[in-house]
Amino acid sequence: MEKTLSIVRYNPELDSQPHSQSYQVPVDNSTSVLDALLYIQEQLDPTLAFRWSCRMAICGSCSVMVNGIPKLGCKTFLRDYGDEVLLEPLAHFATEKDLVPDINVFLQHLQQVKPYLINPEQSEQPHKQSPQQLAKYRKFANCINCGLCYSACPQFGLNPEFLGPAALTLAQRYNLDSRDQGKAERMPELNGKNGVWGCTFVGFCSDVCPKHLDPAAAVNQGKVASATDFVISMFKP
Amino acid sequence: MTEQKVNSSSTPKPYHSELSAFWWLKHRYYLLYMLREATVLPLLFFLGCLMYGLYSLSQSEQHWLGFVAFMQQGWVIALNLLAFVASLFHAKTFFELFPRVMPLAPAALMIAGQWLATLGVATVLFLMLGAG
Amino acid sequence: MKPVNTQPKRSDEPIWWALFSAGGVCFAVFLPGLMLLLGVLWPLGFLELSPLNYASLQQLAAFGYGIPALALVGACICLPLFHAAHRIHHGMHDLKLNTGLAGKLLCYGLAALLSATALALLWCVLKQPLV
Repeated sequence: MEKTLSIVRYNPELDSQPHSQSYQVPVDNSTSVLDALLYIQEQLDPTLAFRWSCRMAICGSCSVMVNGIPKLGCKTFLRDYGDEVLLEPLAHFATEKDLVPDINVFLQHLQQVKPYLINPEQSEQPHKQSPQQLAKYRKFANCINCGLCYSACPQFGLNPEFLGPAALTLAQRYNLDSRDQGKAERMPELNGKNGVWGCTFVGFCSDVCPKHLDPAAAVNQGKVASATDFVISMFKP
Repeated sequence: MTEQKVNSSSTPKPYHSELSAFWWLKHRYYLLYMLREATVLPLLFFLGCLMYGLYSLSQSEQHWLGFVAFMQQGWVIALNLLAFVASLFHAKTFFELFPRVMPLAPAALMIAGQWLATLGVATVLFLMLGAG
Repeated sequence: MKPVNTQPKRSDEPIWWALFSAGGVCFAVFLPGLMLLLGVLWPLGFLELSPLNYASLQQLAAFGYGIPALALVGACICLPLFHAAHRIHHGMHDLKLNTGLAGKLLCYGLAALLSATALALLWCVLKQPLV
């Protein structure tokens, strides 16, 4: 069986506008969007640009819009779609070439929330953590930085300075970790208008997350944390 | 250091597209979000009715009867029916979001408890006003 | 890319978000029943709402219903007003109407003004001599 893939192309050296190009691709029950893209690149058109690496939904590189919804190419199967499928680069990001988005804004937002353990105690001993302490942050801990939630988030689309779902989820993940003492360093970023308060709980981020982290819940739990921080700050001299 | 002049036509430049003001029409999920936000419009109409009632109560019986007649007009009833439906849609979304923002108990339990509260309030109001 | 501001200004959103949330609870818990009874069933004559005539409402107000009435107006008018103001303020941003500070002042200012009006009206009702 064959399906038609309509792919939005953009060559930064020649084009002023993206345009779409169609390819006929052989499809069976196990053909993923990434498989189809690799087929096109190897058999039909070596100029097609896209990112990919692991092919098993862990590297977060092959993010594309499939019929307008952000998806991981390797985890999305053409058997679930009609005869014509539209592939576009991730929404809300600039496009470098074809299906390759410029995700520098996202990487910068990640850095801003310090998504790593901050603990000034330079202890030689390993940090002990109980299953209960692990359970507190575990549901927010498996982000693969694929950026799908940014493409699902209209608030990031409207305001690229909004830190966005993944960065705020990671901030919440480390704030909830019993080994971490960096909350005070992260809160100023979260308390700003581009922090947790940029979110209006559209909730689509949680729908598209390939790791089912519920970033919308994490961001809004961050609002409770930020509101608490707001009240505490009023009583501080 | 001197700045190098580059030929802009040969410099690869990423393509930026701007989000249209009608982004929310593009997907069912976004449309439902906008609908949720718009539930406050019929709410405002009902709040206006309540304030009109309060005003007429503070004036005279004549004013009060005028308010009653206002509330009985077809278009007012239709808008208040819309407000009621909107309040239920708002309640559904609000009750489902609450356990995600404050996970205090199993989500299903929290959602059921909140609906029970809404039903309880309606019942009490009904008994107070309807069975007097 | 713009340089990153590492110490962004603290947002005043917690105030509006708290009022929005409290109003949202009222909108979801108190108002559906009130809307159905007062907005639909009573005007259609499906219910014999006996206390809802002028004299008995005035009596209710006169005999120690001041505090419950205040709570009722707060929960059924004032907080929902701030809930609506918050959603409209953010809705304008969603629709790319960049109204800035003026829009914000208008939304929350109007909610505050109407809330004060509702409380003043209640005070007038409670202070009224019985007919």
